[in-house]
Formats: sequence, structure tokens, C-alpha cells
Amino acid sequence: MAETASESRRCIHFFLYDSSKVREEGDPTRAGICYFYPEETPLGEQELLCGQLAGVSRCVSELSSSPVRLLRLRKSKYAVHMRDHYLWALSCSVDIPDVSVCEFLDQLIDLFCFYNGPVRQSYQLHSQEELSERWARYLSHLQSGSTELHHIFSCLRTIDSTHIDPLLLLKAALILQACQRCPLVLAGCILYRGRVVSTQMPPELTMKVMVHETETFSQDHKPQANGHGSGRSPSHSTVITPVFLSPFELKMLRCPPVDKACRTHCTPQPVSQPRKSRLSRTLSDTPSTEADSLDSTHCPPLTSCQTMPSTPRSSISDESSFSPCYPHVASTPRINLTCQSESCYESPDHSLSNGSLSCEVEAGNVTRHDSESSPSRKQREIRDSDKRQDLGCDQSGLKNKSESSNEEESVGQNGNSIQTNGNHSKRQSPDNQSIGSCHSDQFHDSLGKEVDKEDHESNKEDRPREGEEREREEDVKEFAGKAQGKKAARNGEVPSEPALEPMMLYQQRVRGLVLALLVEPQFNTDHNAKEEVCHSSLASLNGLEAHLRTSSPGAPGIQGPYTFAHYDCIQNTLTTNVCGRSAGPQDKPFVKATALIHSHFSHTDSLQEVITRNAGSAVYGTRSAAQETYFLQHGTVARNSGVPNHQDSAFSLPSKARHRLLKHGVNLL
Amino acid sequence: MKCLLVASESAEVLFYWTDAEFERKIREQYGASQEEGERPPAFEDSLNTLFAPIIISCITMIDRLGDSYTSFTTDNNHVYVLHQFEECLYIAVNGDGQESEEDLKRKIYVMKKLTQVMFGMMTLSSALLRKELRPQDTEQRTRIWKKLQSLLETYSRLREQDQSFLVEAVARLIHPTLCEQCIEFLERRLVQQINTSADRAGEEVLHAFILVHTKLLAFYSSRNASSLTTSDLLTLIIMVQDLYPSNSDLDETAPEDVEHNTAPEIFYTPEPSPTDQDSGQMSGDCPPVFQFVDPDIQMAEDSLQTLEVPPPDPATPSRVFLEATPKEGCFPMMPHSMYCLPLWPGITLVLLTKIPNSQVAISVYVYLEAFVKLEKRLGEVQEGSVAFRGQSPIHDLRTKLEKFIRALASMDVQTTLLQAAWNEFKNRAFSRSGPGISKELVPYCRNMKIQLCGVYRQCFATECMGNSQRLSPSLQERAQSMVQEKLMDWKDFLLVKSKRNITMVSYLEEFPGLVHFIYVDRTAGQMIAPSLNVTDRTASELGKGPLAQFIKRKVWGLVATARRYLQKGYTTVTLRDGDYFFCYFLWFENETGYKLEVVDIPSLPDDSAPIGMLAWDYYRKLLRYYCKSHQNEVVKCYELLTVHLGVIPSEYILQHCSQLARKLWEPSRIPLL
Repeated sequence: MAETASESRRCIHFFLYDSSKVREEGDPTRAGICYFYPEETPLGEQELLCGQLAGVSRCVSELSSSPVRLLRLRKSKYAVHMRDHYLWALSCSVDIPDVSVCEFLDQLIDLFCFYNGPVRQSYQLHSQEELSERWARYLSHLQSGSTELHHIFSCLRTIDSTHIDPLLLLKAALILQACQRCPLVLAGCILYRGRVVSTQMPPELTMKVMVHETETFSQDHKPQANGHGSGRSPSHSTVITPVFLSPFELKMLRCPPVDKACRTHCTPQPVSQPRKSRLSRTLSDTPSTEADSLDSTHCPPLTSCQTMPSTPRSSISDESSFSPCYPHVASTPRINLTCQSESCYESPDHSLSNGSLSCEVEAGNVTRHDSESSPSRKQREIRDSDKRQDLGCDQSGLKNKSESSNEEESVGQNGNSIQTNGNHSKRQSPDNQSIGSCHSDQFHDSLGKEVDKEDHESNKEDRPREGEEREREEDVKEFAGKAQGKKAARNGEVPSEPALEPMMLYQQRVRGLVLALLVEPQFNTDHNAKEEVCHSSLASLNGLEAHLRTSSPGAPGIQGPYTFAHYDCIQNTLTTNVCGRSAGPQDKPFVKATALIHSHFSHTDSLQEVITRNAGSAVYGTRSAAQETYFLQHGTVARNSGVPNHQDSAFSLPSKARHRLLKHGVNLL
Repeated sequence: MKCLLVASESAEVLFYWTDAEFERKIREQYGASQEEGERPPAFEDSLNTLFAPIIISCITMIDRLGDSYTSFTTDNNHVYVLHQFEECLYIAVNGDGQESEEDLKRKIYVMKKLTQVMFGMMTLSSALLRKELRPQDTEQRTRIWKKLQSLLETYSRLREQDQSFLVEAVARLIHPTLCEQCIEFLERRLVQQINTSADRAGEEVLHAFILVHTKLLAFYSSRNASSLTTSDLLTLIIMVQDLYPSNSDLDETAPEDVEHNTAPEIFYTPEPSPTDQDSGQMSGDCPPVFQFVDPDIQMAEDSLQTLEVPPPDPATPSRVFLEATPKEGCFPMMPHSMYCLPLWPGITLVLLTKIPNSQVAISVYVYLEAFVKLEKRLGEVQEGSVAFRGQSPIHDLRTKLEKFIRALASMDVQTTLLQAAWNEFKNRAFSRSGPGISKELVPYCRNMKIQLCGVYRQCFATECMGNSQRLSPSLQERAQSMVQEKLMDWKDFLLVKSKRNITMVSYLEEFPGLVHFIYVDRTAGQMIAPSLNVTDRTASELGKGPLAQFIKRKVWGLVATARRYLQKGYTTVTLRDGDYFFCYFLWFENETGYKLEVVDIPSLPDDSAPIGMLAWDYYRKLLRYYCKSHQNEVVKCYELLTVHLGVIPSEYILQHCSQLARKLWEPSRIPLL
């Protein structure tokens, strides 16, 4: 598609500033600058911006006892994110709605954390130059090839489904489903030339996964710095990259709200957490976050794990209907480790303790490396994590070997996995654990302090800290989850770094087509699983790729005497006939009105419809809970006086939009 | 949690206003960091310390990047708005979600407007303004701050409660006959009598008007007066409301409380009410609102270490600086005296007079402008250029200015400083040895401006106002009783009418489904809207309590929305929001009511002044812009906002809107004279 790259520079400045590095009078501001974009900015200006903005933001947040979110200057505006001692700031031109700027920054930060883990940790592990390169990469990815409309909506770029045989979409969905048969696969998506064909993940995750895809695509299959490549032929390759998921994201992937009966019978290894099988990206299919979190919060905590091995099938269904948290307890080794060692099955704390503990282990490694301060810290780290994974996976490998038949497995699976995991924990962690635990205190300490402070700020009771931390943490997470991510998290005052869980991103490429799967960490060493996924999908991927290649993607969209944009808020996708053409001056009025109305929608919940008109154009915007649609009719706005007049053509826009957009698959009825 | 702060470039607080909650918060925050046993610092100091980093950073940004902060928003939706006028930085804060960024910006502009009306051209020199806002003398400072704080509070209250301050246009009492009678009375009897009286001390009544609460009953301007701008009129209404508040909170106070308060009322009430019944009713309906000391003293008692300010002599007029447009041109901030004569609680007669030496103000302004222009041109000129030498304007200025200084001296005005500044300027500009007219003159230009403002201050500033310079108290009293006599029979009617000026009931039959509307004639700066009184005691047509509150909130929101779209160049907006349907239209007509074609109006940047008429007259600019393409016509600008029930089909709603616009066109024609 002919998307002009001219206006793609959406971000004017971006920086990450670490104020903990600038404490004393004499500390130069530059010491705190972790990354500054554009990098060619003179250092003086960098220091000025970082110093002033960080100072003023701290001052304001102290006055209001809440971090600054948006900082506006006359010529630009900055979305600001403050967490611990870090301050991220990203500036855009003033035309872009506030909500879009803030979203952009959140995306960028999330992206970084997804591939690198918590910020402080990654700055301890990696050199600043290396991370700067990554920030630059993520920034350029988020800005690349998108039009102004994309800037407004910060949406996923999808393949234009109107040009594609729907059967191909179905096929893609089926490939993904097939992959999910492997219990270690959480969810996946299929991308073609930087666009989404089909995805099982929530949009935020899909967006993150896409970075890597685009990057490898553009880098012509160079081995990844932190990826474990294998089988690197130019047209076919698989890459496994470590990634980090927030507990909430993980929960969404692991705890599907519905349907496991069908799942178990078609799965060879019914161990796996029942996952929702999605055929394709349809509305009904999208993960209902509310249901998820409701489940997990309101389910009475129940069942000791002992019931599991004995009656696996029934317990699976039981478990799933009562306590959706359970399955992933059974599936991740480390989780079991914590659960067993702390014997805290009975509380909904699992997921939380997972979150923190797994992170502690990570952190444990970090500190150790730090203390060693070896030059090849990073390598060691990788080796170390490899070792860990190896250990873990040895177990599963063993398990696989020992269990000869599916039936056997299905009977003994849960017990087995717990068993092995238990072993695993013992074997793995003597030193890790001790370090981890001592570190965990620190971790909790800092976290606790943060939380405490917040609590104290916002709340009344002075609760004893030790025991409550977890609950609070859980609350916070729960809260963040429930409220569809960032928005609520913002209200919820969580300025400390969220716990992140390491996972793996498996990617398999067939020329322009990429299959990306989020997998459990032990997948990397599980050769059987790898083989299975790779082989089962390869042929279908080849076929799909061939079909997609031959279907002409560049064909112009259905043109008409109108411009429209249809934004799906849940899937975070945009359908429009604007970017088909180069967004020229004729689209300016449309884009301008769209930005204005979108930002109006974003802060007025009850608003459903807007018609707005100036002398030259009239734009109609309508939204429901799931979508926003904008429509402009060309050339019909007769010159008129602006006095109320029911014959005014602007007021017939709603019916025109309804009528015209049907053939784009947009139903406004 | 609200705050407004004016700071100088050296981070000195020139003025502040905070609500009690903000003050408590600051004290808590500051108290915590105090060492044991130390006395907590004065509130002003803590405020200064807390805001200093922001102020300094703001100034650094301007100096080094040429860009400045305009706002901060925090996660818990506290909003900080910053704006710099010349060398003064204004910061407004809201932490309770009641004011948006736009509201705060508006408040800053209103604050600026208030200082202009109070201090006139002293605001043009930051050095003088600093002295005016923050006099060395503590007592004086307290008085000025209290005055400004109370004005600011009055403004906020009116913006919250009064639709005319929401849309920033004057609301009139719709009663054509009475209105006309009153105007005639003001013209033939009152103004004529005063202006021919010997007791007027050289003052001349230019405008006289009667306010019933915030609504205008009658307005008369004498023939040789220039028109009063809407912006000034609205500001004057704020000042009158500040002196004699007609607060809906007061309306809500129980009758017994009212009785309690009535004691000092006698002070200015000229005659007892005619019947017992009447007086009883009155105290119930309209509590005593003219207690002279009240508004000042009720306010923020503890925020300043209170020095009891003696109540001003009620016969002393307020000095106000208003825009005048005599034949010679348009002159902002010309000195006037304002006499507020309370007739009854809620009803006030206001007289605006021209003071004897106001010609001096025009001259000062002319010279000021000349020096501003000169400075600007010098700034543009490249190094050492003497291109101006021998040009007539500057020599013209020289002769005129010298004459002016001599004239001033003859009027007993201290001119030594001005003379000295002028001599210095002359020596540099005109002598052969000096640098000539070049960039080096800039500081001397500045000095001249300061000295001119100083002269202006000497002549017109409030505290320099001679005690004798006023309409004699007996004359004021006579004027008051004349109007009282005239309106005696109407008094109760007027008070009720001001609350129920237009009622929705009269429109319901014709426009079923219509919930509310506001119609504004922007050329005249007037608005018509059904009353929307939301108090617990007086039920409006919308009923009491939550529903009425809800509609009110929606209407307030609609106005804000309409402004946002208008700022971006959209003149028509319709919204379907919940169960309601909102419309906004702006259009132009010529004098005969012919609808003129719509043009693309400019889209303003986000940091432009707020749209409205009070602080910065957007509509005047808009009309000027429109007139460019309609040179030969008188262009008028109208706005209509409506709220309908959402179930009404939109065709009908639009039809309603056009009928309503036609219907409302008539009442807006009531002559203003």
C-alpha cells in the first residue's frame, strides 16, 4: 500500500532519564540520560530538556502526589511516564490528540519491557549503547510507514481482508490452532509482510510480537543479538527470543474463559491448560478481559493440588470451572516451586507469588552477575539462563521419553508435571534460591515501600506491611488487568516496576510470512515440541504464503466519493480508504476532524455520535463500545449559511455512512 | 483544591489565591518537612518555595528554548496551567476535577482582565504592575490581595452558576415595556439631572445601567459617550456582584439565618419597605446583600494574617479602566469612576463617569504607543542604522511630547522623572554626539514607557484619587432615591423575573422534546436562555436535585465542547450523548436578518486565548475576519445551542433549531440605546 513515509516522524523527542544517577549537586545531568532521541541532538539541548522536564515533573508530582502524565509546551506536548527514578518523556506535535500521545509512549515502554524485561534490570545487564540501539529500533518500528490516521489511533496494521480469500484467513487461524496442540504453546499469530493475518493474542501483545518480525524481516535474517537462531536458510528460519510478559497478559493467555472439553479430546497431551481456541479474529472471540479477571477474583479459592493427579480429566474441568488460575500453576515449573515451598495453594495468591518469585530468581541472577562484574556479564547471563532452561527442559524431555503413550500421559500428566517440577526446583535452585530469596527481600522491600507510600497517600489504614504486600500487589495487578490495561493502571498509582515473567517468542519464517508463537520457556529445549510445531505447520505455512503472495495486495481499496475510517477498539485495527491513496491534502479535513472527534470520544464516555461541519467539509463520527467510525462525503457540502437548517446535507451523513460503508464490511445499523 | 498564582520573573509571588483545601494541603506537606520546634513558615513563603522550581524552570525554558510550559496533567487529574503575560507568570491549579485546562486558562485571562480594569496602564509596565500587585505596605497589600481574591472568587462563582458568565454575554431582563421606560427615565431624568448638577465635581455620567442580580434591566449611554464593550460590562457586573453578592448559597440559607444577618443592613436602606408583608417576603427571598464590609471580611480570614481593613467610604467610587472609542481612535484602559448604588438587595444602579482630566490618559496612551512602536522598529533595525534621522514622525513626537510635559507640569503633576527620562532620551537620540536613533536607544525607550506609566499612575491610580474627586454624596443619594421611587412598584416583580426570565414552559408546546437552549447575539454581546436555577430551595422547571444538576452539567459541558470545535474552525456541531441530543450553530447575518454564507474560519492553536468575550473578545476578531469578505455590510454573528431529548428524530430536532432561531431573533432586538 502506498503509505507515505513523509509524515511518519510522529515523535519529536523521546528520552529516558534516570534521576537516581543525578543526586548530588555535582552530578552532571548527562549521567542520568539513558537514551535520547534523536540521538544527534546536541548534548547541551539533551541536558536542558532532560534536566528541566525531569525537575519540573518531579516538582509537580510532589505537589499533587501523583506522577505527571502530560506536559504541554506551546510548540509540542510530552507524554510523561514516571516510575521509580525513571522518567520517560515523548513529545509529539500538538495536532495529535493527548490520548494518542500517551498511548504511544505506553506502547513504547511496554515494547521495551517485552523484549528486555524490567528497565532497571536490563540497564544492569546490558550496555547503554546496546539498549539505545533497541530503543531506536522500537521507536522506528512504531513510527514506520504509518499515516497520520495511524498516529491518531495507534492501531495494529492488518492485512486488507477485503482482497483476500476468506478461506486463507480461516486457514491461518487453523494453523494457529494446530500449533496450540503443543501444550507449551500459549498463543500465536501469523504475519505477512509486517501485517497481521490472524492472531490469537490480544492486540497489545500482537503489536509487540510484530516488532521482532519486522525487524528480522528487514535485517534479512541476521542472527538476533539475544535470539537463539536455528536453521537459518534465507527463506525458512526459526528464531526463539526471550520475552517478558506481565502477569496479567500471561493470565489472559493461560486462563481462557471457555471451552476445554473439545480441547482435551483433540489434544494429544491434555496436560495443557485449556486454552480458548480462536478461529479467527472476530469480535466474539476476543478475550473478554472482564470475564477473566472476574473469574479469577471471585472464584472461591479451592482444591488442594492433591486432587489433581488422581482424576485428571474431571479435575481439569472442575478446576477450570472453579479456579481458572489453577492450570497455569500446573504448567510452569517455577510456579510449582513456589507453591510447594510455600504451600499456599489455597489462596488466589498463586499468580502473584509466581509473578514476584520468578522475578526474584531473575533478579537473583542479576545481582550475582553484578557482583562478579565480569566483562561478559551478558553472555554469562545467557549461559546461565540457558543452563536453567536446560535443567528445566531436561525434566520435560525426560518426562516425554518416559511417557510412552498419550493415554498414559493424559492420566498422569498433572501429577507428573508437578512431580518433575518439584525435582526440577530442587535440582535447579540451591544457589539461585538463596540468592534469589535474599534478593527477594530487597525486591519486596522496595516494592513494599512503593506500595506503602501509595497506599499511605491514597488510603487510610496503616496496614502491617509484611503479610499484606502480596495481597496488595495482587490487588494492583488485578486492578490493572480488569481495567483493560493502561488506563486503569494509571489511575491505580502503580509507579513501581511491574513484575514480569520471562517467556519465549518462537518465530518461524517462510519468506514474507511469519508464524509467531508465545511459548513457555522450556519450549526452547524441548526438541520434540519444537519439531512438532515446526513440522506440523511448515507445509501449511508454505501453502498460505504462496496464496498470499499471489493475491494482489496492492490493489486499491474500494474508492468512492467519500472518505471513511473504521476503528475497532477491541482488536485495535483500522479499516480506511485513506491510506490506499497517499494521504494528500484532500484528506486533511477528514484527518483533522477525526483527530478532534476521537479525542472527544476518548474523554466523554456517553458520547455516541458527532457531526461537525465547517464551510468546506462535514464529518460524521459514531462509536459503540467496540468501534469508532468516521465518515466524510466528498463534494456535497453546498455553500450555506450555517444557520440551523434541516435540509443541510451534513445531517444526512449518518444515513449515507450506513449505506456506503456496508460494502466495506462496516455495519452501522 | 484550587490555586492561582502570579509570579514575577524572579520567582517572587506577586499575588496568590488558594481555596482552603489547597492551603491545608500545602501546610500539611510543608509542616511535615519542618524540624521539631520550628514554627511553620508563613503560608506565602511555603507557596513560594514550592512553586519556585516550576517558575524558574519555566523561565529557563523560555530563555533557552524559546518555548514555555502551558500545562501539566498528573495521573490523578490535577491540572496546572501556566501562562506568561509580559514578565508575569500566571499559574492556575485545579485538583478537584471541577475545572478543565480550558477553564483554568480562562481564569488566568480573567485575572489579567481584572488587573487591567483595576490598574489600567500600570499593567503595561511590569515594574509598576509588580508594585501595584504587591505594594511594600503590608496593609495595602492585604487590601489589594483581598480585593482581587474576592473578585476571583466572585468570577468563579458566576461562571459556575450563571449562564451569562458561562457563555460570556450579557443577559437581559426580557420585559420590553419596562425596559424602555427605564431607559427613558435614565436618560431624561437621571443622567440629565446629574450632568447638569453643580455637585458633580467635573465628572460626567457617560453610562448608567440597572442590574437585577446579574441581569441587565436597562442601559443608557449618553450621547457623547463611546460604547461600552461587552467585556468591560461583564467585568463591571463581576465587580458589582463582588460588592453586593446575590449568591444562590445565600438564597439557600434558612430564613432565621437571614434575620440574624439583617442588622447592618440599615446602613444604606433609604426607606423602610412599604408593607410588613413586603418586607417579610423580601428577607425570605433576597437576603441582605449589601453589607459593605462583608465580602472582604468573610473571605479567607486566615490565609492572610488579617489586618482589619477599614471599610471604604461608601460614597467613594471605584476607579475602573475601560476601553473607550472616541472619534480619535480606540483607547484601552481609560480611567472612569464607577458608582454602585444599591437600590434594594439584588437591584443596583451603576453610574460610570468620565473624570475631568481623562484627556491626559489619552495622551499618555498615544505616547506610550509611539514608544512601543519605536522600540519595536529599533529592535528590527540592523546594527547602527540611523535611517530614521530626519524623519518627521519622531520629530513630531518630540515637539508634542515637550508640549505635553509642560502641560502636565501646569496641572500639578510631578514630572521630574519623566522630564529626566526624556532629557536622557533626547540627548542620545537627537544630539550629534549621541548614538542617534539606533538600537542603543532601546533601554531609554523602555525608561520613557515606565515614566509615562508613572505619570498615568499619579493621575489615575485608585489610592491617588483625591477624596474630593467624586459626585457629591448628596447627589449620589438623590440619584439613588429617584430610581428607587421609579422602580418601587416593580421591585418584587423584578427580583422574581430575574430568576425566571424566560421559562422553558412557554416553549414546550411549540418545541416538544426541547430541554434547554441558549441563544447568543455576539455582535451585541447579549444572550437569552431559559433560567436554570439549580438550588435546593427554588425548584426550577427541571425539578429539583439530581436531574436539574445533570442537565446543568450537560449544558456547561456542551458550551465547552462547542468552544473546542469552534476553536478548530467548526461552526456546526451536533452530538448524541446518552439520552440527549445537542446542537451548536454559529452563523452570520446582515442587518436585515439575511443569512450570510458561511466561510472557513481560522483554526486556532491550542495555546490561543480562550474563546469568549470577557477576557479576550474572540467574536470581535471573528467578525472582523468575516467582514473582510463583506466590506459593505453590517455583519452580525449569532450562536444557538440546544439540548433535546435523544428520542426525538434528528430531522425534527433540526427543524426545531431553525424555528427557534427565527423565533428568538425578535426579542434580541430590544433597544439598548
